[in-house]
Amino acid sequence: MSNKPMPLPTAISAPFWDGLKDGRIMLQQCNACQHWIFYPRRHCNSCLSHDLSWKQVTGAGKLYTYTVARVPTLPEFAGAEPQILAVVELDEGVRMNTTLVGLEPERIEVGMPVKPVRATVNAEGAILLRYTGVDVPLDERDEVVRAPEAPSADAGPARQQIDVKDIEALKALVTGEFSDWSSQILVDQELIDQFAALSGDDYWIHTDPERARKESPFGGTIAHGALVQVLMSRMQVPLSFEVTGFTNMVNYGSERLRFPSPVPAGSLLHSRTRVKSVEVLPRGTQMVLECNIHVVGQERPAVINDLVILYM
Amino acid sequence: MGLKGTAAIVGAAQYKPEKYSTAPQMFHLEQVADLAAQALADAGLQASDIDGLCINGPHFHEASSFVPAMAAEYLGIALNFAEVVDLGGTTSVGMIWRAAAAIELGICQAVLCVIPQRMASFGPDDDPSAMARAMRFGGHSTQYGAPEAEFDLPYGHMGQNTGYAMIAQRYAAQYGYDQRAMAKIAVDQRFNAQAHPDAIFRGQELSIEDVLGSKMVADPLHILEIVMPVAGGAAVIVASKELAMRSKGRPAYITGFGERLGYKSPSYSPDMTETPVGPAARSAFAMAGLKPADMHAAQIYDCYTITVLLSLEDAGFCAKGEGMRFILDNDLTYKGNFPMNTHGGQLSFGQAGSAGGFSQVVEAYQQVAGKAGDRQLKVCDQVFVSGTGGVMSEQGALILQGA
Repeated sequence: MSNKPMPLPTAISAPFWDGLKDGRIMLQQCNACQHWIFYPRRHCNSCLSHDLSWKQVTGAGKLYTYTVARVPTLPEFAGAEPQILAVVELDEGVRMNTTLVGLEPERIEVGMPVKPVRATVNAEGAILLRYTGVDVPLDERDEVVRAPEAPSADAGPARQQIDVKDIEALKALVTGEFSDWSSQILVDQELIDQFAALSGDDYWIHTDPERARKESPFGGTIAHGALVQVLMSRMQVPLSFEVTGFTNMVNYGSERLRFPSPVPAGSLLHSRTRVKSVEVLPRGTQMVLECNIHVVGQERPAVINDLVILYM
Repeated sequence: MGLKGTAAIVGAAQYKPEKYSTAPQMFHLEQVADLAAQALADAGLQASDIDGLCINGPHFHEASSFVPAMAAEYLGIALNFAEVVDLGGTTSVGMIWRAAAAIELGICQAVLCVIPQRMASFGPDDDPSAMARAMRFGGHSTQYGAPEAEFDLPYGHMGQNTGYAMIAQRYAAQYGYDQRAMAKIAVDQRFNAQAHPDAIFRGQELSIEDVLGSKMVADPLHILEIVMPVAGGAAVIVASKELAMRSKGRPAYITGFGERLGYKSPSYSPDMTETPVGPAARSAFAMAGLKPADMHAAQIYDCYTITVLLSLEDAGFCAKGEGMRFILDNDLTYKGNFPMNTHGGQLSFGQAGSAGGFSQVVEAYQQVAGKAGDRQLKVCDQVFVSGTGGVMSEQGALILQGA
């Protein structure tokens, strides 16, 4: 389940989409003037004849043009790979709007030969026709977003042990640089529904995919900000240090909590942190960790949380 | 073929571009009446002189059909000619020639061309998120059966930025690309905006380094090469020669026009780098009996820098593939040898939705009429104007001449 727009075949276009499901690329050709036609139509867009035939083609062609969308065209198109929009000119002469996969942006050149990639994009088995370089060993791929495997508990390199009384060493951790990314977690409708039941916040914008598709400004359901915030605990951040020597450690709350961008249902999340400040106070030693949670591939965080940790 | 050149722009009004968050909210009918009154005052004509109307149908707030009749009733004006124009960013250029043609046919004497683009206030049952929902796919239809809903949206092809970026990449592969030349378009126009009291970026100067250092949105387009949407709106009065003679300013006669469209997605154009403004401009110049070198100014539709580059080439101001050299070799400011977008262009003036193209029309008129204030050209008798809708899908051209 994802908020990405999916093709809705019509009686006119069904042979194209059915063909893709069966592993064939079908194009229409005009029997009157031999003109190849894309996208599917009732009439030839060269001579207006309605005498058309569906024919199987290889899908091979050349890259007509492309662009790397540094800002995804919808938040849902953010991902681990850059969004590379492209126009491909098939050997038959028709052009198709598509996306390039399996290619580094630096390797892409207008005019390069390209080949089709059948991409399964949702659990219902919808297929999109993507493209890649002819020398890339990729013909099919599964793009259905699934929950990533949980990271193993003992993972990670040895961390620097810092005693809570070593204030100088703690202060040396303060940095403007964020850690590497954490492990990833999937926020699907099931998890959102569970949180709605637990918290009592069952507002339709989170829980009613049908209504959200029609009425929400986000085009589908989104996760509760509070849910995304607490999912921090389920992401393993590769911190370089570990504080030791305290009797008690408490989550003292937050100095700043913001939800700057929505998290559509079906998103993968990851996070990163940095030590923002360290202070010795009468109640204990206080460390503020800036924790930013992002939809994978999105530059703008979904949650910014300046978490206050108190060591006593 | 074409116009005799006896109809003229005699008055104009344009809201100062403002951010949506701070602009006044007005019903569209209210804006139509307000802009009409201002434009008539500029022309020195009366409401009773108006007997024609060109108005936008798409994005009109109070109705999606019967818009001209509703507006005529609201204004209290009877019409012999009414036209809804639906050509995206070239709607304003399309309105001006339609008005001139109707006047030359003798069916009316003065046409109000108007596009209100301030937001209307929300009613108690209005859904404020409807606009955000409509914006999500940026001008792409999501209707069942719309080819773009089926074959573009699932691949992420939507909005305008990536479409223009792909045209620029194709151009770069065919002819080469100099991003400093592209940035200079934005920089020269920003200079012009400093001399327009209403420009949204007045008071903020810009360098080539600023443009190249700004965020890359879709290769090769930086954010400072892309227009900023603003609230606004504009009206222009087109009148017969008889009325023009008794209007109060110097009329700008419409002596040539052209229009061309054949696809919505440029992916389906015969050649992405040969844009529709080519045939449109050839028609306009032939009709006016003039050539690009005769122009004293060019007001080129500029949703993106790449739009300007291709329009300059295809309209014939320089040879194909020579656009970037032309930009580097010429001073495009109002003080320069090739005055272009002397109001700052939409890049620096602001783009008021589909009224954005009116900024070029109004500037061309004001330069001919001698109403351009600090940025007034010494001599401005012949001006070229272009309009662009969609992703260089629909384009138009006008030639305006002072008598």
